[in-house]
Amino acid sequence: MTVSNTVDQYTVLTGDRSKIKDLLCNRLTECGWRDEVRLLCRNILMEKAVAGAVTSNSNLTLEQLITEVTPKARTLVPDAVKKELLMKIRTILTENETEGTDNHDDDEDDEDENGTEDN
Amino acid sequence: MSRTIVVKNPRTSGKDEDKAQIPSQDELPSGSSGAKTTNQIISEFRALIKDPIKLDEAVNYLYETLVDDAAVGIFIETRQLQKTGSLTALEGTVEETNDMCDLPDCDIFGMSTAEKTAKCCCPNCERMVAAVRFAPHLQTCLGLGRSSSRAALRRLTVSSRSSSTSTGGGQANEKSTDDEDWSLDSRPGKSTKNSRNKGSKKNQKNKLK
Repeated sequence: MTVSNTVDQYTVLTGDRSKIKDLLCNRLTECGWRDEVRLLCRNILMEKAVAGAVTSNSNLTLEQLITEVTPKARTLVPDAVKKELLMKIRTILTENETEGTDNHDDDEDDEDENGTEDN
Repeated sequence: MSRTIVVKNPRTSGKDEDKAQIPSQDELPSGSSGAKTTNQIISEFRALIKDPIKLDEAVNYLYETLVDDAAVGIFIETRQLQKTGSLTALEGTVEETNDMCDLPDCDIFGMSTAEKTAKCCCPNCERMVAAVRFAPHLQTCLGLGRSSSRAALRRLTVSSRSSSTSTGGGQANEKSTDDEDWSLDSRPGKSTKNSRNKGSKKNQKNKLK
């Protein structure tokens, strides 16, 4: 099984994926990333519209445009947000692993709670 | 992603509600791309996590997937808005940026500071009057205003005294009595307010007579 499949299946199963996704969406909206990406998309679409009108090549697929947009969107994420999210994901993934050991779990849960309270 | 539709199955454990469970899972070799039990998924994951390299890979993969999902979502939303024309509606058109205007005789918006007086021609005296002053001018001109009535009365009494003929005088007298009544009424001593007749002269004439 590939890493990606396993991770996807597991996180969807435990409901962690939606939790992480919500957290990510909130952070990205707060830091203005969403607006930047919207602007980026708008600019790309305008360029394509203009170019399409000129060269009559208006049948650009969504996928092509998406493959253009996604790398740029990734670079737009602020470092702080990225680091925070990577930490959170790592914590969430590993806390489920160590379900047997209570102390470790408690510590991690406390850390999580503190983190969310601070945020 | 191997998300499948919910199918209730008595063999499944409590956590499984989001996964379809094919009863013949024992026939499938483990690690295939078919459906698996929850426990299989969990155990695979745990095994994966133990390896730190794999864990890093998993974390990065998950992060990137989620960011890509968010970006694509925004992109599709923008595209749909653009297609329906709502994007231009939402954002509006770019207005010309109005720099400060520094010309003489102009304020900073570029509007001239000269007075814009519209002139009207009075139908009575045929003079050009400013529009702002047109109504008051008409009052005095036509003799309908308060002080203009006194002015008109003075003129009439002067003209009636000077030309005291029967034909012109009769009419003038009537007019003058009316005007006299009017002017009497308008004196501060005798006000129509006390008599409570809303300023009508109907009974006043009879009284005086």
